Amino acid sequence: MNKRLPVLLLTAPSMIILLGVFLLPMLLMFLLSFENAQESFSFENYLLFVQDPFYVEILWRTIRVSLWTVLTTLVLAFPVAMYMAQATGKMRGIITMLILAPHLISVVIRNFGWVVVLGEGGWINQMLLSLGIIDEPLRLLYNELGVVIGLTDSFIAYMVLAIATSLYAIDPSLSKAASILGASRVRTFFTVTLPLCVPGIFAGVTLVFSLSMSAFVTPALMGGTSVKVLPVIAYEQIMSTLNWPLGAALAFLLLGSTILLVSAFTKIVETKRYKEVFAS
Amino acid sequence: MEKMIDVELRNIQKKFQNNIVVHDFSLQIEKGEFISFLGPSGCGKTTTLNMIAGFLEPDEGDLLIKGKRMNGVPPYKRELGMVFQTYSLFPHMTVAENIAYGLKLRKQSKAEMQERVQRVLDLVKLPNVADRYPKQLSGGQRQRIAIARALVIEPSLLLLDEPLSNLDAKLREELRDELKRLHQEIGVTTIFVTHDQEEALSLSDRIVVLNHGSVEQIGTPTEIYHNPASEFVHTFIGKTNRLHGVVTKVEGNRMKVQTDKGFVVSALQPAKAVQEGQRVTVFIRPEKIVLSAETAPAGVNQANGQLMMTSFLGAFTECQVQAGGEILDVKVQMLEKLAGVTPGSSVLCQWHEEDVLVMPAEGDRL
Ligand SMILES: Nc1ncnc2c1ncn2[C@@H]1O[C@H](COP(=O)(O)OP(=O)(O)OP(=O)(O)O)[C@@H](O)[C@H]1O
Ligand SMILES: [Mg+2]
Repeated sequence: MNKRLPVLLLTAPSMIILLGVFLLPMLLMFLLSFENAQESFSFENYLLFVQDPFYVEILWRTIRVSLWTVLTTLVLAFPVAMYMAQATGKMRGIITMLILAPHLISVVIRNFGWVVVLGEGGWINQMLLSLGIIDEPLRLLYNELGVVIGLTDSFIAYMVLAIATSLYAIDPSLSKAASILGASRVRTFFTVTLPLCVPGIFAGVTLVFSLSMSAFVTPALMGGTSVKVLPVIAYEQIMSTLNWPLGAALAFLLLGSTILLVSAFTKIVETKRYKEVFAS
Repeated sequence: MEKMIDVELRNIQKKFQNNIVVHDFSLQIEKGEFISFLGPSGCGKTTTLNMIAGFLEPDEGDLLIKGKRMNGVPPYKRELGMVFQTYSLFPHMTVAENIAYGLKLRKQSKAEMQERVQRVLDLVKLPNVADRYPKQLSGGQRQRIAIARALVIEPSLLLLDEPLSNLDAKLREELRDELKRLHQEIGVTTIFVTHDQEEALSLSDRIVVLNHGSVEQIGTPTEIYHNPASEFVHTFIGKTNRLHGVVTKVEGNRMKVQTDKGFVVSALQPAKAVQEGQRVTVFIRPEKIVLSAETAPAGVNQANGQLMMTSFLGAFTECQVQAGGEILDVKVQMLEKLAGVTPGSSVLCQWHEEDVLVMPAEGDRL
């Protein structure tokens, strides 16, 4: 009984802060989202997503951009994680540092860097033009591609570290065992290494997906006015249009769809076998 | 009948950054033989095994399996079975899937696969665990499954890298007997790596004793035990008493040694002949010394002393006897039966001359 008192006392400050600045505002926002222009209760704001094609397209775009980001980070991160897993401890440290180093710089500045690089006058387009590979500059910015590039840069570190951590945990003698039983290196990868780092992939995918769904700065800077995603629209409604109820509804829609998709993904991944093998 | 050579190592050498880890290793293994690599930690046992398996390439020398040169052939093309110290079962596969892994790669039909899996499971006496995951098995069961997985592909050679060292003493003995039974039943050529001399002695047809990457001796367990080629082999294979002395007389195949601490020891002439006046080291195993409560004058192959310390180990008691400035280790069965002998009492140590091993003193060998 008296064991719980110290726990209660120690957690009380953070609990109060959490309650005051997180849960309470959330609740107020939630109630606010059901208000219409006449300040009475209605589902009007939420019905927009069923009735107005503009908002439906924005929801789809947000999900689409996030899925592409997940896919590109996954494909790019895997080889890096594989390399880290077989490197020495010192090399692992160096690579981890290199991966995290860009995060020391504000995301705003990094995104402006991309704007300079990817723009029509940026060195990528200039080089391709002067080599004669293209006749007119490629559009790498202010479209979904630009947003995916920006988000990939922002979140790839999470994917690398999540996968690398699960690769570290694999006993290296397992690939030796597969090899002596007759499996080539490719075969060993697909039958042993890949299945065993599913928890890492799962963690990386969930993390990058949630972060991409709620990302604001990168889509705002690299998507421009033509490819707006949910967080950007919500921001506009609250800050420019001052339509707080609609902004709140947009935010909860974003939250709801992220939770829904992540839980659906979890359901698919966590098969009976997965639970038997990886549950601690 | 001509003997079939299954595996041959010809002057194998391996370096890691100028550090020679395996030096001029040559060995022929007959079909069906059970060979142990025995040696202290770091002597190159695993390295040698990894070269046979194909995980490492020798810097010099040839490796032949069934007469075919194997240098440069990747492990997955060598058709070997291997059991690792850490079991190395695939955690995401059931026992049956683990065992079937090698069969699947060999494109066997489902029915045949199932039958063979069940057959090896029966062989290792675990017929009912097919659907479990490795983590639902005990350590001993995991090791049995690892052995089953290696055997199911009917390898031409079975490699075992300290497969018992992660198990507790009782289980280790049980699995040791199990390994012996399996080997007698299926007769697969086996290389067994260990640093435990008891395992090597009890299981092997022949033992290869390694030290610092070099072969010290290759021989049957009895040869290794009774006729060690070097002081290292003798001391590594079990506890021993070491006395220094000088040869005083050589007569035919017998000889006498006066030890520095005053014992007179008679012995048979060793393989490496010694001469009168030469400095030698005399070895007597603790279990070869007989302890009694008699009082007799010191003489040839006997010494008076005082019992210092005893530790009762069940089947026998380990004693230390202080005798003429030496501390002798003595192993006694049933010390309880020696009436009146307790720590502090006077005892007589005796031994037979055929149990004494004489070797030229280390310095003189050069
Ligand atoms: N990859 C490597 N790089 C450098 N040195 C190595 C490497 N692998 C092994 N060694 C060295 O080679 C020597 C022999 O190692 P090996 O693993 O063969 O010993 P072992 O006889 O199996 O010992 P243990 O009984 O401890 O397993 C050791 O001194 C070890 O430090
Ligand atoms: Mg080893």
